[in-house]
Amino acid sequence: MTPTHFTISSAFLLGMMGLAFHRTHLLSALLCLEAMMLALFIALSLWSLQLDATGCSTAPMLMLAFSACEASAGLALLVATARTHGTGHMQALNLLQC
Amino acid sequence: MNPFILSILLLSLGLGTTLTFASSHWLLAWMGLEISTLAIIPLMSQHHHPRAVEATTKYFITQAAAAALILFASTTNAWITGQWDINFDLHFFPASMLTMALALKMGLAPVHFWLPEVLQGLDLTTGLILSTWQKLAPFILMCQIMPVNSSLITFLGVTSTLVGGWGGLNQTQLRKILAYSSIAHLGWMILVMQFNQQLALLALIIYIPMTFSTFMIFKTNSSTTVNTLAASWAKTPALTAITPMILLSLGGLPPLSGFMPKWMILQELTKQDIPLTASIAALSALLSLYFYLRVSYAMTLTISPNNLNATTPWRLQTTASTLPLAISATISAMLLPLAPATLALLSL
Repeated sequence: MTPTHFTISSAFLLGMMGLAFHRTHLLSALLCLEAMMLALFIALSLWSLQLDATGCSTAPMLMLAFSACEASAGLALLVATARTHGTGHMQALNLLQC
Repeated sequence: MNPFILSILLLSLGLGTTLTFASSHWLLAWMGLEISTLAIIPLMSQHHHPRAVEATTKYFITQAAAAALILFASTTNAWITGQWDINFDLHFFPASMLTMALALKMGLAPVHFWLPEVLQGLDLTTGLILSTWQKLAPFILMCQIMPVNSSLITFLGVTSTLVGGWGGLNQTQLRKILAYSSIAHLGWMILVMQFNQQLALLALIIYIPMTFSTFMIFKTNSSTTVNTLAASWAKTPALTAITPMILLSLGGLPPLSGFMPKWMILQELTKQDIPLTASIAALSALLSLYFYLRVSYAMTLTISPNNLNATTPWRLQTTASTLPLAISATISAMLLPLAPATLALLSL
């Protein structure tokens, strides 16, 4: 595994661990999601360098566009959660247990 | 909801799934999955009820994480093998990651924990879209990456059938019952997917009308708990008589249609020389059958005590269309004699 590949993989996996083990705030989960997307963006950007080909340069832009849409949807849901539940804390999301 | 916005959202939902169906590049498949996730988010939270918003948030986080993991697995596969094409075989490690990501997308055990809660927070129509349409895109991707890591797939399948059976046993809320039913059925589909993707497709094609029928029946009765179903014998006696057929078809009893996929799957598993897995799956179907039977017991097999005015209500003609429910109920109860033709159509 090349150093580049290792760096990108560890960045993604650290973000995923942060997403899985976040404990207090919904916002930290969204931030970790963004970190994962950033790692993927860098991976796709370096892919065209890896291949010495410019044909795959649009892939990171497309991915970035979708990740931006997703981030804005996540923030809208954070605002909605803050409006209905009062806080942005994860422990407030306990209405659906029964 | 504003009809223009509703049509944009529903068409985007269709676009997302179609994009995933039609793609041969992993990036495009990922985009299709993202589009369908983003399109269903406003549909889920349209009522701005705290439970709906909570369900939407949980759905969003899990689906976004799963989609990111899918893209990561396909990027890793591209770095290792140089291939972005879906039709090419995956390297072992990204393939396992991709399988777990698709399992998270679909709601297979052991990553199924979001599904009962999310389905519980939604109204019945959106829950129906979530249970049927949203399963199509990850299912197709899963079919296309087979055969991969047989022990992982068997583990996912058996765990899903067992969790779907045991998890639903203590539920009184209908949406959670349907969530566990979905987990169990997807477990059956995954079990056979590694050997014969056409049979998995058959199981999905039979599962969708059955789930559609149950959601429509619950919508007609406007009921979300088992207890509220008990009054339906006075409101819609014909529907009350048909519901056990649909529920037992979900349970997989002959001579109803739901028996067809289970029979074919058990036959295929036996042919592939794993009779132990087949036995465990068949026994776990018994657990699911118990709670389907409990729902039909409360609804049809017993008449609940009621005051006299409620037992003879005026049965007025409904303005809601009953044709979809009629068609799907017929399909989900009476398709078994057509089994040879269905199997021939799926080129088995």
